[in-house]
Amino acid sequence: MRTTHHANVRSFRLSTRSGPFSLLHPQNLLHISSSASSSAHFPPKKMLARLASKRLLEIRQVFRQSPQTSRSLSTALNYHIDSPDNNPDVPWEFSDANKEKVKEIISHYPSNYKQSAVIPLLDLAQQQQGGWLPVSAMNAVAKVIEVAPIRVYEVATFYSMFNRSKVGKYHLLVCGTTPCMIRGSREIEDALLKHLGVKRNEVTKDGLFSVGEMECMGCCVNAPMITVADYSNGSEGYTYNYYEDVTPKRVVEIVEMLRRGEKLPPGTQNPLRTKSGPEGGNTTLLSEPKPPPCRDLDAC
Amino acid sequence: MASVVRSVLKAIGEKGIGTFIRELKEEGFVRCLSDGNLLQTKIHNIGATLVGIDKFGNKYYEKLDGMQYGRHRWVEYAEKGRYNASQVPAEWHGWLHYITDHTGKELLAQKPKRYGLDHKENFSGEGDEYIYHSKGHTLNPGQRDWTRYQPWQPTKS
Amino acid sequence: MGLGLLASRTLRTTTILSKSPRIFASQDPSNALRSIVSTPELQNPEAAAAAQPNPTPDLPPRTPVAGARVHLPNPDDAIEVFVDGYPVKIPKGMTVLQACEVAGVDIPRFCYHSRLSIAGNCRMCLVEVEKSPKPVASCAMPALPGMKIKTDTPVAKKAREGVMEFLLMNHPLDCPICDQGGECDLQDQSMAFGSDRGRFTEMKRSVVDKNLGPLVKTVMTRCIQCTRCVRFATEVAGVQDLGMLGRGSGEEIGTYVEKLMTSELSGNVIDICPVGALTSKPFAFKARNWELKGTESIDVTDAVGSNIRIDSRGPEVMRILPRLNEDINEEWISDKTRFCYDGLKRQRLNDPMIRGPDGRFKTVSWRDALAVVAEIAHQVKPEEIVGIAGQLSDAESMMALKDFLNKMGSNNVWCEGNDMHPCADLRSGYLLNSSIGGLEKADVFLLVGTQPRVEAAMVNARIRKTVRATHAKVGYIGPATDFNYDHQHLGTGPQTLLEIAEGRHPFCSALLNAKNPAIIVGAGLFERKDKDAIFYAVETIAKLGKVVRSDWNGLNVLLRNAAQAAALDLGLVPESGKNIESAKFLYLMGADDVNLDKLPDDAFVVYQGHHGDRSVYRANVIFPASAFSEKEGTYENTEGCTQQTLPAVPTVGDARDDWKIIRALSEVAGMQLPYDTPGAIRSRIKTVAPNLLHMDERDPATFSASLKPDFCQKMSLTAFGTTVENFYMTDPITRASKIMAQCSALLLKK
Repeated sequence: MRTTHHANVRSFRLSTRSGPFSLLHPQNLLHISSSASSSAHFPPKKMLARLASKRLLEIRQVFRQSPQTSRSLSTALNYHIDSPDNNPDVPWEFSDANKEKVKEIISHYPSNYKQSAVIPLLDLAQQQQGGWLPVSAMNAVAKVIEVAPIRVYEVATFYSMFNRSKVGKYHLLVCGTTPCMIRGSREIEDALLKHLGVKRNEVTKDGLFSVGEMECMGCCVNAPMITVADYSNGSEGYTYNYYEDVTPKRVVEIVEMLRRGEKLPPGTQNPLRTKSGPEGGNTTLLSEPKPPPCRDLDAC
Repeated sequence: MASVVRSVLKAIGEKGIGTFIRELKEEGFVRCLSDGNLLQTKIHNIGATLVGIDKFGNKYYEKLDGMQYGRHRWVEYAEKGRYNASQVPAEWHGWLHYITDHTGKELLAQKPKRYGLDHKENFSGEGDEYIYHSKGHTLNPGQRDWTRYQPWQPTKS
Repeated sequence: MGLGLLASRTLRTTTILSKSPRIFASQDPSNALRSIVSTPELQNPEAAAAAQPNPTPDLPPRTPVAGARVHLPNPDDAIEVFVDGYPVKIPKGMTVLQACEVAGVDIPRFCYHSRLSIAGNCRMCLVEVEKSPKPVASCAMPALPGMKIKTDTPVAKKAREGVMEFLLMNHPLDCPICDQGGECDLQDQSMAFGSDRGRFTEMKRSVVDKNLGPLVKTVMTRCIQCTRCVRFATEVAGVQDLGMLGRGSGEEIGTYVEKLMTSELSGNVIDICPVGALTSKPFAFKARNWELKGTESIDVTDAVGSNIRIDSRGPEVMRILPRLNEDINEEWISDKTRFCYDGLKRQRLNDPMIRGPDGRFKTVSWRDALAVVAEIAHQVKPEEIVGIAGQLSDAESMMALKDFLNKMGSNNVWCEGNDMHPCADLRSGYLLNSSIGGLEKADVFLLVGTQPRVEAAMVNARIRKTVRATHAKVGYIGPATDFNYDHQHLGTGPQTLLEIAEGRHPFCSALLNAKNPAIIVGAGLFERKDKDAIFYAVETIAKLGKVVRSDWNGLNVLLRNAAQAAALDLGLVPESGKNIESAKFLYLMGADDVNLDKLPDDAFVVYQGHHGDRSVYRANVIFPASAFSEKEGTYENTEGCTQQTLPAVPTVGDARDDWKIIRALSEVAGMQLPYDTPGAIRSRIKTVAPNLLHMDERDPATFSASLKPDFCQKMSLTAFGTTVENFYMTDPITRASKIMAQCSALLLKK
């Protein structure tokens, strides 16, 4: 259908250019195109009008699409823009407790391959800073592992788990990959954003929450799910928990519980499931499994 | 033919022979003798309607009966010596080329804003000053200097 | 050229294939209609491959691509592979791509560069290897014995077409306004593997442009993420500024923080960028590469003598590009070499001028100017005549100057940089004896009073290459300076040198244990009063560390100026240290870095040169001369390799070649020099320094270590100085250049 429609549009354009007759009237257009279309089970005028309006809608949608919506990484920019609280001149150092940890992390690697410690060190720095990495923290990591700062920036920009702009004390990450999407992760994100009154990657006014999107968290059997990265207790009390089988209602409850400071057990939020088991208990493999016949040596 | 002779005689009678000959010259009848195109235009003009005259004095004729469709409008240029198609101003161009049925006079009456510049005849081939040479062209007056370096300027030290 | 061949070969294959009616019959016509591949049989590569007859091994022998050479150090390590059925012998460890190059097949590539590490991320070099389930990225795959590589099969072609479609997906269609247009790898290869239409209907990616400084212009949307620039900056230039940021479709090249690329080799990223993402900022929108005439010439801004190609359009030098010379500059050139060309168009002297009694210059004819100079030259005493050749002078004009002044009765003629006491007696005393390429064999470097990074960027690149490859140790004596490789700063002055010579310094052990130690002494030390003592100490170290042997000569002098080596060969050395103080007639042949403060006020100064730079303000008569881009001149570089510049553009105004001016002046002065042609002047040079006639050849010094000065001068303890203050502005051309001025303002800012 689409191809015939295109052909008609083309013939219409050609005729306006070549002929002396005015073809601007829609009646004319329909007349000519109907003569070109061969398959007409229902009145051609109606069909073409519908096709035309559909096409118009498509075109309008293409133009309506704004470029920002296509980006979904944790922080969109791949380059740094100086701001008062994030510029290379801000002093940054590992805390004394973390300095011990740094030593411990580096001791895991051969002394001539210190740079391998870049990811654990960046993670440590991110926990210390409260969930994000200012550029001076990356410079500090580069100094510790004795590489050029750009090598650290490369790693930090590559992994979406490293946030290069401020996040809330509770950073909520919604899984957006296909299985979760099918099970309604879009609605969950919308519910979170609506409840908190922020946009994606924005921090609430009280600095408590921010919402981001994440690629597959690897628990598709419990889709949809969110992760709560809890930076409220510094790098010592840092937790990173999955809340699975969530619903738009449940995520709002989770947010409120976090706001009140209540602990809630991570894992599936569906009371009918245990871990990744089926809802309401097992439905198959209920009896003792029988040994496979060929293994039954006595039968041979 | 007889009507032509009669009208000529009538005109002579009205204007006097001197004025008649001067007008004959101005209208280009003398040139007709050497310029076949002009002669043919003059012959065409017989019996045609004069639709209008533009600001340059070009006369626009139309004759509907007995003419082939598409050849029924023409212009007699005011310039009898070196006439060419670029002497037709924009407002008359459409009418003359069957793009529109509105005559130049009608179009001008609407006070169009589109004609930003006064119509200028194309003078190509009329002399160097009328030929356009791009910026890098050898004949562009601004391109006479081929110096591509900046000489040292002696200053008193 | 190679790609065109490849495309035609592919086309030939397809025409052979299309003769097979079976394949055509097997094609679904509707499928062919939707296809974007113009050759329908490619839709079904397996069937097409099956239909292809086995390649006959009796192919005509092919010539290796771009002079690819096979060097088999150990014949036992050689393996044989078959490229399109053609057997080639290659050493173990070569990649498939290199094997194909030896076999004469040019594999398309974007990320692979023979002088950089292998990244293997563009996937353009896919080839088919027999018994391999998938096409193989040839640049990263080591060739294995008996491998059967097929480079122009439908599988390989289809794989490359797929890669090309992905590359073009996010590449803007701005070739008509792109400066790389016409010399773009992507453009060329899309002729062979690109489709005339795309299937990508989404929005194209756009990337913010980066500011890399006044030399490199970035249009990052055009980037195809080959990471050549990142690898170049990290590996060759030694500035870790560039990196690959982000991931997936958001990936981009950048510096993350606002930072300029502060390398003296940054211009080379323009050459290695396969697309128009990194282009030359000064050359932006100035010309198309097919309008330019290339002239193979020599760079004179430092003593390295990098091989360059001067691209000119009409009377104008448009840009300068490097030329491959493995022994000197490989395929890189420094930013000074590449971007000094706009200095050739500014502040030029184009007419002879005489300073009138009112102190103003007025333009005169050559006849008058020469007559005035000849008259004055005869009025002064012969010993009061002094001639100084500038740092950009060629050997011919220096020969003419020396001959002319000798005929006038004076022998006070020298070249800039050799003002005080150069050791011109032995050729090995002023050359880079181990040669620039030979530095790669060294395992310990001792740099004495030289900052190679600013004095000779290409020599520095060679040292860096060696340090990177073999972890050679570098010791440096001199004022604190920037290095782009690991080094030990041993000390600042002769004190340290003495300690090493006496064996008291910890660096001695490294020097003694080294197999091929190299000592590089800066030519800036020529200007010290205690030069002989320093050289004595250096020679003691050389003796100590067995630096000079029959198979290795590691005692090097790094010269500063392009004219220096030839001047010393020709014997342009001052007679005593106080020539300028007593001069009454000073002939400056492009010498602008001479200190004229001590010149008597009544001295008559003739300035012959191409730029109104420094000395011209003291001159009484100005003779306009031609610059290196406008004349044929012989230059000897610091390692003793003689090379020639060729005229790329006409001279400006009324200027003439240097030697011709002196020849004309000698005639007016009544003591005509006996040569009228460059050939005749070269035969005169042959009697003085025959090595200057062996073009593009390095004449090593016949060393004789026994001829050492055995007196011991008192060594002063003042620290070594910095020879070159500003890398970007060292000679009249670079000082006149606006681009170089911008560079020194932006990049040298501390």
